Parts: sequence; C-alpha cells; structure tokens
Amino acid sequence: MLKTGLIYLVAIAIIYLFCFKEDAEKGRQSLTAARQTLLRMFPLLLSIFALIGLFQEFVPPELVHSWLGADNHFLSLLNGGLAGAVAIGPPVAAFPIAGSFIESGAWPPAAAAFIVSWVSVGVVTLPVEAHVFGWRFTLWRNAVTFVSALLIGLLIGGLI
Amino acid sequence: MMVLRWFVSQWLVSLTLLLYLWVGWVKPEKALMALQSGATLLGSVCLLVLAVMGLVGLVQVWISRDTVARLLGQDSGPKALLIAALCGTLLIGPPYIIFPLLMTIRKQGARWAVVTIVLAAYAVKLPMIPLEVGFLGWPFSLGRSLLTLFFAIPTGLIVEKMMEQSGR
Repeated sequence: MLKTGLIYLVAIAIIYLFCFKEDAEKGRQSLTAARQTLLRMFPLLLSIFALIGLFQEFVPPELVHSWLGADNHFLSLLNGGLAGAVAIGPPVAAFPIAGSFIESGAWPPAAAAFIVSWVSVGVVTLPVEAHVFGWRFTLWRNAVTFVSALLIGLLIGGLI
Repeated sequence: MMVLRWFVSQWLVSLTLLLYLWVGWVKPEKALMALQSGATLLGSVCLLVLAVMGLVGLVQVWISRDTVARLLGQDSGPKALLIAALCGTLLIGPPYIIFPLLMTIRKQGARWAVVTIVLAAYAVKLPMIPLEVGFLGWPFSLGRSLLTLFFAIPTGLIVEKMMEQSGR
C-alpha cells in the first residue's frame, strides 16, 4: 500500500504545482487547509489505529463472525448498520475499521452497511441535526437513510 | 460546538490510552503486539493519508461552500437533484458545518429533497476514495460509491414526501 500511497502523493503534488501556477495565494490556502485537517485528525487517527491493534489482538474472529458473519445475513446486516449509526468518529476511520472486520470474517455487505451508516446516520448527532432542521426532518432522514444503508450493503454483496 | 468537538476527540484518545494502560498492566506482551500491529497498519497508509489530506485542502479552497450554496439554491427542477448529488460527493467538513449551510440553502428556497440528497451523497467522500480502496479494494469502493449516489435521489424524494404530508 506504500507504493499506492506514493503514487497518489506524487499525483496530488503535481496538482498542487498547477494550482500554485494558477493562483499562488489559493495554493497556499489549500496547503494550510490540508495541514490544519491533518493536525486536527492526527490524535484521532493515532487512537483509531491503536484501537484496531487492540481489536485484532483481543477480539476473536469467532466473535466477529457470529455478529457480522455470513451465517445469519439479516442479523449481520442489521448489526453492521446499527454499529455504524451509533459510532462516532471521522469518516476516514470507517474504512480501516471495516477492513479489519472483513479480515476477521465479517460478511462484506455488513461492512458496507457499516460504512454508509457511519457516515450518514448519526444517532449521537441527532440533537444537533434536530436543532438545525427540526425533529420531523431529522428522524425521517435518518430512518430512510438507515434503510438505504442496509440496501446498499445488500446490493454490494451481489456485486463482489 | 468547538467544546463538543474537542471533548469528543479527546474522549476517544483518552479511552484508547486508558485501554492500553489497562491491557499493559494485565497482559503487557499482548499490549505490545496490539501496538505493533496498529503501528504497522498506520505505517502502511501514512503516505495515502497525507495525499488524501492534500486533496481535502484543495477541494476546500477551490470548491467554495458559497459556490455550492449558490448552485443548489438556483434551480428546483430535476436538474437540482442531480446537482445536489454531485455537490454532496464533493462537500467536505464535519456535519455541524454542513447542517447550518444546508439550512441556509433551504431557507433560500431549496427543496427538502435537495437537502436530503446532499446529506446522502455526502457519504460518498470522493476525495477519500483512495483510502477506501487501500483498505477494501476497488470493487467494494466503486460499488459502494455508485450505489450510495444512486440511492441518494430516492431517499431525498421519500423524505420530502414525508415532510410535505406532515406539513398539511
């Protein structure tokens, strides 16, 4: 994955060069925004990866298998979606966590439902969302999005 | 909001530290192994993380939220729904910045469907796809992104329908 990372990094650097040529001020602003995002995320990323380490050492694959495995499709899908809805954290963290689920024997559709509902369904952020949009919209949006997260997960099972 | 965000982030960091202290106390050798496998994973994606953050910076500055807001408020036909889906994939930022932005657009006359579609497509995270591919592979990532985009529009229409019904 280091090689892929390097390729992406070089590609982004080239885009930056073009941006600086186009508008140096905006190029500098982009760099600052990137640095701020990275610094803000850094402690979180460190903790997430440290937690994944603990997860791999202490959570036996059998447990992941019984919660998210392919034996009981419906339940696994529901568990994946619910875990994603309750979890809080930056979207970037959903990918390595879902990856380690699959490595431990989770059913891929359950992992997909986990990612989609992690990003777009927020049980913890419900009050914030309701404060802005009102409860009626917030509850409907989260409910419909949750169902579509499960459907997306299910369809991915058919794709891969 | 700042305090809440700070609290949440610190909360995760402190939980991790506490867990490691506890595990280190009970089973030091396992704690070390956990730390090692976490560090290996982080090491393997650090360049990718850097690249993605670079991209996030570019999107934030060159695709301004004001432009997005203007685009979304202009139209109310089917085209607006498509634009909403596209804008949603490019928007980056925590929900507590996106929510008020969308409410502003709503007050300027955008449909509920537009607001919902942006929030649904927001799960695609276009700039972060390299990371997703790194962990889950191309077929998974591509399938998930396309399906999320595809589901965004019906989700928006259903929620809008519910809002209109309850409004009567």
